[in-house]
Amino acid sequence: MAHPSQLGFQDAASPVMEELLHFHDHTLMIVFLISTLVLYIIVAMVSTKLTNKYVLDSQEIEIVWTVLPAVILILIALPSLRILYLMDEINDPHLTIKAMGHQWYWSYEYTDYEDLGFDSYMIPTQDLSPGQFRLLETDHRMVVPMESPIRVLVSAEDVLHSWAVPALGIKMDAVPGRLNQTAFITSRPGVYYGQCSEICGRNHSFMPIVVEAVPLEHFENWSSLMLEES
Amino acid sequence: MAVEGEEEKTKSFKLLGILDIQNTPCAREAVLHGSAASILVGLGHFLATSRVKRSFDFGVGGFMLTTLGSWFYCRYNNAKLRMQQKLIKDGLKNKVMYEGTSLDPTRKQNSSQGGGS
Repeated sequence: MAHPSQLGFQDAASPVMEELLHFHDHTLMIVFLISTLVLYIIVAMVSTKLTNKYVLDSQEIEIVWTVLPAVILILIALPSLRILYLMDEINDPHLTIKAMGHQWYWSYEYTDYEDLGFDSYMIPTQDLSPGQFRLLETDHRMVVPMESPIRVLVSAEDVLHSWAVPALGIKMDAVPGRLNQTAFITSRPGVYYGQCSEICGRNHSFMPIVVEAVPLEHFENWSSLMLEES
Repeated sequence: MAVEGEEEKTKSFKLLGILDIQNTPCAREAVLHGSAASILVGLGHFLATSRVKRSFDFGVGGFMLTTLGSWFYCRYNNAKLRMQQKLIKDGLKNKVMYEGTSLDPTRKQNSSQGGGS
């Protein structure tokens, strides 16, 4: 999960997020090389004693600074498009969950087999137990079986919200009257935190998302318990 | 554990403030290869021509090309390795799950070999 003064991404917990991390590294290396080149050119321009006021054109340099940026853009665009289409693949999900945004909490519905639904409110700071995370913990987590493809249908009941979990590489807008679809597979068990990512009122910062990936037997036990409670 | 992980990440060294050499796979290798190539090419050009500024230009050019080449080569090999690891992991999982059943992958291979002989 996120730690204080973090600048980079969180560790990937899904294959899509791993691909995004690799793409980010690839693009950052290109950015680093371009920055080095620009820095060198600035130093060279500032320190040169040569001045020629009569240079009007130069075919060679024009070709270089047209072709090179085009090549760089292609080098960035190809992996980017690959990941874009990879993220759109929905391969036979085992479970479909509806995540509905409200002011100011999320509700989750597991309606594939039984009618299971619950609300997920943030735990206020004064009610936190030692070791729990401020503004991130919720009373009910969205529990999913690990290493299983999960489809999430995101929508909202009132205003715009956005369901985002950085560790899984997911962000999907929750639009009232519209059903948006996203899917993920968790590579490993764990607890993954996210926060509402579309301004939605005074408590926009206080409606977090917690996804808990557990082995299938634990998921089955949890869903039985939740059904009994409801 | 979390505190140690945070300490490791705070010790990361970022070139130009953006590229994390220590935590990005292949970055350190690529930059080292690029630096070595830039010194060799720059020095070699200077020894051949005695032109200082042009040698610097060649050095920077050599750095960029070598860094890029080393980076892509290393990332390609890493990607291949990751795919192989994924295939092995899936194969092991399938073997454990389906051992003794009709879907056992090793049983299919053995029956096809037996049919051939």
